[in-house]
Amino acid sequence: MVQELQNIVNTVRGNKGLDPVAAIGDETRLREDLGMDSLDLAELTVRIESVFQVDVFEDGVVNTVEEILAKIGEKK
Amino acid sequence: MNILLTGASRGLGLKIAEHLLSSGHTVYGVSRSKSDQLNALQEAYPDQLQFAAYDLTDASNIKTALFDELIGSDIPLHGFVNNAAMAYDDIITNLKVEPLQEMYQVNVISPFMIVRNVIRHALLHRNPCSIVHVSSISVHTGYKGLAMYASTKGALEAFSKNTAREWGSRGVRSNAIVAGFMETDMSSTLSAEQKERIYRRTALKEATRPESVAEMAAFLLSDKAASVTGQNLFVDSGTI
Ligand SMILES: NC(=O)c1ccc[n+]([C@@H]2O[C@H](COP(=O)([O-])OP(=O)(O)OC[C@H]3O[C@@H](n4cnc5c(N)ncnc54)[C@H](OP(=O)(O)O)[C@@H]3O)[C@@H](O)[C@H]2O)c1
Repeated sequence: MVQELQNIVNTVRGNKGLDPVAAIGDETRLREDLGMDSLDLAELTVRIESVFQVDVFEDGVVNTVEEILAKIGEKK
Repeated sequence: MNILLTGASRGLGLKIAEHLLSSGHTVYGVSRSKSDQLNALQEAYPDQLQFAAYDLTDASNIKTALFDELIGSDIPLHGFVNNAAMAYDDIITNLKVEPLQEMYQVNVISPFMIVRNVIRHALLHRNPCSIVHVSSISVHTGYKGLAMYASTKGALEAFSKNTAREWGSRGVRSNAIVAGFMETDMSSTLSAEQKERIYRRTALKEATRPESVAEMAAFLLSDKAASVTGQNLFVDSGTI
């Protein structure tokens, strides 16, 4: 699950010319640590939705990897 | 290209469908009914035309009905033509909430929700995508009885310009065609005299031809319009 999320994160980063991150953890912040802006977060959410069938930003702001994992329904 | 088109059953939408199909594109057509003319197009282009009956007064099932079921998440979408609309016309002092809300649902809210999903779809597939709204000259000129209807189109024009600004960096273009009066069901309640008065307010002194509007839509959808975004394109017989 975390690995899959990391792959998605790296796809989004790759699409904007950023290097892949070697690891993500609960505390990893999407904007500050992963360098995502609001449009990247939109891309992230549709990619997550296409894999996990969950729209993680549907009911509110999500800031960290832990919060995404919680929404996907399986915390590491 | 794969194009989502609302209001495919009649009038301008039918013309746009015909134009796109004959150019070899795939059309995902949406309207409440499937007219005889659309059935004829279906027979002529069995593999290129996919149809879903959907009532745009319902904005809540758009993702499921149009994006999951009609198009499917595996198929990239290259364009969306927001053509379906209804006209609630009356003078403002007669304004009633219910028909006003219904019109906003069909002309504004459902199209916004479709655009939401079109952009999300494009993000997933990482393909450029062109959104074309069909607006109306009534936004810019003003006609007695059309204040409420024109306001829905004004909303689309503003939404379109802001879509272009917000998503341009991701390859999403958005434009509005400002159509003049066309001879379709929508304008069929006008008397010959009323129509004549409208046409007199145009440089060409005639109705706007749906074929000409369809041509502009096809252009805006295509790569030929790669640098055109955030614009209102007037196809209106030169309304003055
Ligand atoms: N005619 C004009 O003079 C004129 C001028 C300027 C701009 N426009 C604009 O041009 C566009 C096309 O208009 P038109 O003249 O071709 O109108 P039309 O002949 O009345 O066709 C309207 C289309 O929209 C569909 N539609 C209407 N309500 C719907 C709903 N609730 N859910 C789903 N589909 C719906 C209709 O299909 P179903 O009935 O099968 O659902 C039909 O295909 C519209 O955006 C209109 O505002 C028209």
